[in-house]
Parts: sequence; structure tokens; C-alpha cells
Amino acid sequence: MIDIKNLKVSVEDKEIIKGLNLKINKGEVHAIMGPNGSGKSTLSYALSGKEGYEAEGQIIYKGENILDFNTEERAQKGIFLAFQYPIEIPGVFTNNFLRTSLNALRKAKGEKELNAVEFLNLVKEKSQKLKIDKEMLSRPLNVGFSGGEKKRNEILQMSLLEPNFIIMDETDSGLDIDALKVVSNGVNGMRSPDRSFLIITHYQRLLNYIKPDFVHVFSDGKIVESGDWKLALELENDGYAKFVN
Amino acid sequence: MNDLEKLKNHFQDFKNLEFINSESIQSRIDAFQRFCQKGIPSLKQEYWKYSPLSKDLVQFQNLKFSLNQDKSFNDKYIEKFDHYKILLKDGVLISEDIKEEGLEITKYKQNYFYEIKKNQILDFNNAFFTPGFEIKVDSNSSIKKPIVIYNYFSKDFDGNNINNKNFIFLAKNSKAQIYEKNIFEDEKVLFFTKNLDIELEQDSNLVKYYFNSTNKNKTIYNFIRTKLKQNSELEKFNFSHNVSSCRDEIIADLNGTNAFVSLNNIQHLSQKCYHEIKWEINHNEENTRSSQFVKSALHDQSVAAFQGKIFVDSKAQKTDGYQLSRALLLSDQSKFLAKPELEIYADDVKCSHGSSSGSIDQESIFYLRSRGINEQQAKRMMIEGFLAEVINKIKNEDVKNIFYKKLNEINNI
Repeated sequence: MIDIKNLKVSVEDKEIIKGLNLKINKGEVHAIMGPNGSGKSTLSYALSGKEGYEAEGQIIYKGENILDFNTEERAQKGIFLAFQYPIEIPGVFTNNFLRTSLNALRKAKGEKELNAVEFLNLVKEKSQKLKIDKEMLSRPLNVGFSGGEKKRNEILQMSLLEPNFIIMDETDSGLDIDALKVVSNGVNGMRSPDRSFLIITHYQRLLNYIKPDFVHVFSDGKIVESGDWKLALELENDGYAKFVN
Repeated sequence: MNDLEKLKNHFQDFKNLEFINSESIQSRIDAFQRFCQKGIPSLKQEYWKYSPLSKDLVQFQNLKFSLNQDKSFNDKYIEKFDHYKILLKDGVLISEDIKEEGLEITKYKQNYFYEIKKNQILDFNNAFFTPGFEIKVDSNSSIKKPIVIYNYFSKDFDGNNINNKNFIFLAKNSKAQIYEKNIFEDEKVLFFTKNLDIELEQDSNLVKYYFNSTNKNKTIYNFIRTKLKQNSELEKFNFSHNVSSCRDEIIADLNGTNAFVSLNNIQHLSQKCYHEIKWEINHNEENTRSSQFVKSALHDQSVAAFQGKIFVDSKAQKTDGYQLSRALLLSDQSKFLAKPELEIYADDVKCSHGSSSGSIDQESIFYLRSRGINEQQAKRMMIEGFLAEVINKIKNEDVKNIFYKKLNEINNI
């Protein structure tokens, strides 16, 4: 699915990711764990093509190097970033945003855009599964949403857009146990042989609910250790100290 | 317009025109003399400091007045929803009088005009006006259909100056909705002044919408004076969309307890458009409320100015005055000039004001782009969302839809 080769990323001339190699096959779920300041969020932004993140090396996605593609082109090709802190946008209504986004992706794929009725039927079906109140969809995007609502909205977008490669940046932050379960169920429901996940997290807690195939320890801009999900338990008990420096 | 001899000759010719009635003539002469004493507005006068008119008016060295006798009106400009029509073609009222449902619409009939010391363009308007409309609503009448005013500037007009005076009166416990729009058929140079007086009696309620549409080479001055009695309410929504040069001025006097005025304006400008808002709200009685809300999205080299004043008289205790202006600067060359003013002589009041300007939030743009929406569309969504906060307050669905559609029209982001 995605093969990251010797990726180096700088922000304002400061190198933050220092030669990352990571290959994620179709259907696999990888978790990246690391202490604060290790460059985890930088990695998620660099994979999404955020401006100001100067990247070199290669990101081979579905057979092509996407390093020069901008953010929307990557999204249109099926890369999805679930934000740690989804942005509040006053005046832009959630329903309208979801439809614009879905149709932008459909258009890029050469598919017919959905009209208002088709869209509403689809969003109704998806939001019911995620226990999302339809009143939430008529509000401005993320404005006044609780932490749990914001994350559920991210999962709703994920299920509508049906991306192939999903990056989840600290999805568990700000969630109580019930919201965490809803979000995890949503993600688990989307696991498929054609879809891969990269889960970025501080804590092992989320990985109890979304069980990864591989766990990597990220420190000072590099992967310093890789293993299966048991590595996450080890980190929970021993901390990051032995991997740092 | 700064050559007074030329103007005096112009006025001599003008006052001999047939349509000028003898009752108004002395008021016109007095107004013209006042204008001559004051001269045209200049940037040195605080009252006109931020006004595009201070720069524009020198170009009108030869004013040409004209009366278009043709009364045809193209149906394509008529709104589809059910409404009462007031048609003004090149400043001349061409629609028929209306008298039904407690509503009376006729030609403007007032003959005596007030002066505002610093406002010489009002004097100019008083001297040179062509009568516009009068709307009167009887007491206890609630007008069900909206009234739509069409200010139609046709391509056949061969002058360069139009001045109108209009009057709206709502009697006790009456209610009306008015939508006014400008239609410009060509890009000829024009100086247009319009004075509207609005009087609201006790318990009356007026909602007025105004769409000032895209135009070129037009210098427009809209002056509204409104007086509100006890428990009366005025809500006003203006949408200034790519207007080349315009000042919108309102003076609102809250003269009865519990009177409420709400002024809302969108400025959506591009290229070298210059739009100025000057509002003054006078809280003259206890328990009066006011709200001023301005949102501006400024592309290219456009300039928007907002001067909003809240005056509270010493007897106007328990006043509640609110003012907020926010601007999105969408290019390095666009400008937003803001001058909020509070003048308060009572001690038990609640007044707030805020003003901000800034560029579009890049984190929001990134969020939208990360969902496959291209940068241009993401920006457009942000601008629409920003301005829509004003439109969302509109209760009339027809007008709301008109305003929403117009939001989409500036594409050169």
C-alpha cells in the first residue's frame, strides 16, 4: 500500500524526521508510538502534504511517489488523516462540508457526483451506525462539538470517503471510555484487506481496542524498534526510556 | 463639482424644470446655498475622512441632469416571489400607486427638509432630488407580502447624476418587510444620492433588506435617517457586492423606551471597489437596544471602511449597545479601516464593541484540503462561511436565498 523510504522532513529548516523507512502492506494496521516531541505529528502532516513541511526521500503509494502531490491530490487518491484536534470552522455547515468533500473525491475518480437527496440518504445510513445525531450535521463544522463528537465526526468522514490509507493522529486524546469504544468500533468496522491504517499514539490504551499488526517505536525522527502488538504492552510497563538516546 | 459657478448655473437650469413643484422650491434653494457654503467633502473633514466620495466627486465637473421619459421595465429583473412592486427607473417612479391591506404607496410628497451640519451631500440631495416613493402602513396592519423596491439604472439614461428622496412611515402596531435592490445596465459614470427617512411609531416593526449589486464607475451615497418610538423595531440587512464606490450612512434615533435597531452589513469586494459604512445610533431613552454587525471579505485592492458610533444620552439608562466588525483580508493590498466610537453619558449601560481583521485561517484550509477539496474551493467555502454568519440571521427565506446565491459570484480568489 505505502512504502516510505528514507523520508526526511524539515519545518522552518529544522530537521524533524531524519530518515524514516516504513512499509505498510494492504490490510495491515501499524501503530507508531513515541514520546512527546519525537516527530509523530510531523509525520502525519508530511504524509498529508501539509504546506511548510519540506520533505525529501520517497513516499511510494499505490506504486507512485506522491511526494510532489499536494494535500487535496493525496486525499483524492485515498489518503485520509484523522486529526488529533479537528478544526472548528464557523459558518461552514457540516452537511455541506461532507457533501462537498465526498463529491470532490467522486469527481476526481471520475464518478458521478451525488445530489442532495442521494447524499442525505447515504449520510443518514452512515451516521446511524456511528450513533451520530443528525442535529449535529446541521451545525457549523466542529463548532461547539464535544471532544467525542469531533472524533465521531472524523470517523463519519472516514466511513463516507472510504479511503485506502488512514492515518490516525492521537485519536484517543480527549476521549472518555464510551467515546473511545464508539470510535474504535467505527475503525474496526472499516478494517478490510484493501485498507491500511497508521495509528499514531502516546498510549497503549487505544491499541486495546484497535489491535495493530505491527508496533513501531518512534524517537528523534526515526523508528528505533519494531515488533508486534506485545511491544505496546512492554512500552506501557517500561516507558520509552530505554529507546530514547 | 468643486467649480461653484458651474454648479450655480446648473442649479438655475435645474430649478426651472417642470417637475419641480412650487412648495419645495424654497427648501431646495436654501439647501443649495448651504451646499455652496460647505463645499464638496474633503479628506480633511473628519465626517468624510474615510469616504470614497471625498476623492470621487471632483471628477463630476459637468453635472448633467436628465429625465428619462421611457417607462418600460424589463420583466427579467422582477423577482419571482409574490410581492408589491416599487419601480424607479433612472430615478423616476414609474410604478402605479398601491392602496390595499393598510398599505399605501405613492410618489414622495414631502416639501421641507432638515439639515445635518456636517453633511453637505444631504444638502445637495435636498436641492437636486427627484421625488421617489412614500410607503405608509396603517396602524394595526401587518403587510403580508414583502415590498420590493427596484432601483433600475437603464442604459438609455443620458445624464450623470440622479438624486432621490423617499419616505417610509409605519403607524402604531404595524409591520412590513421591504427588499430593495439596484440594477445597473451599463458601466457609464454616475453619481447617485438617495435619502430615505424611516419613521416607526409605537410597537411597529420593519425589516429592510438592501442588495447593492456589482457595478462599475458608480459613485453612490445612501443616507438613511430613522426615528423609532416606544417598542418599535428596525432590522436592516445590507449586502454590498462589488460596488465600485459607495458610502452607506445611517443615523438612527431611539426615541422611545424598548426601541430596538439592528444593523447588519456584508461587504464583499474585489478589484478597486471602495465601500464605506457610517452608522450612528443615538440612545435617547431608557431601555433601548441596538446591534451593529459588519462582516467584510476583501479581495484584490478593495477597501472597506466602517465607522460605527453608539451615543447614549444621560437619561438613557439601561441601554444595551453592541457593535462588532470583522474583516477577512484576502490579498496583501486590500484594506479595512475601522473606527468604532462610544459616547456615553449615562452610568447604568451595557455597551460593547469589537473589531478585528486578518487573513484566512490556514489550518482550516488544510483541514478542508485534507478532505479532497481543492485550495480555491476551500477558500471560497471559508469566505462564504464567514459572510454567511450575517445571512443566517435573515428570516425571509426568499431574500436569504438571493443573498446566498450572490455570495457565489466572486470567483477570482
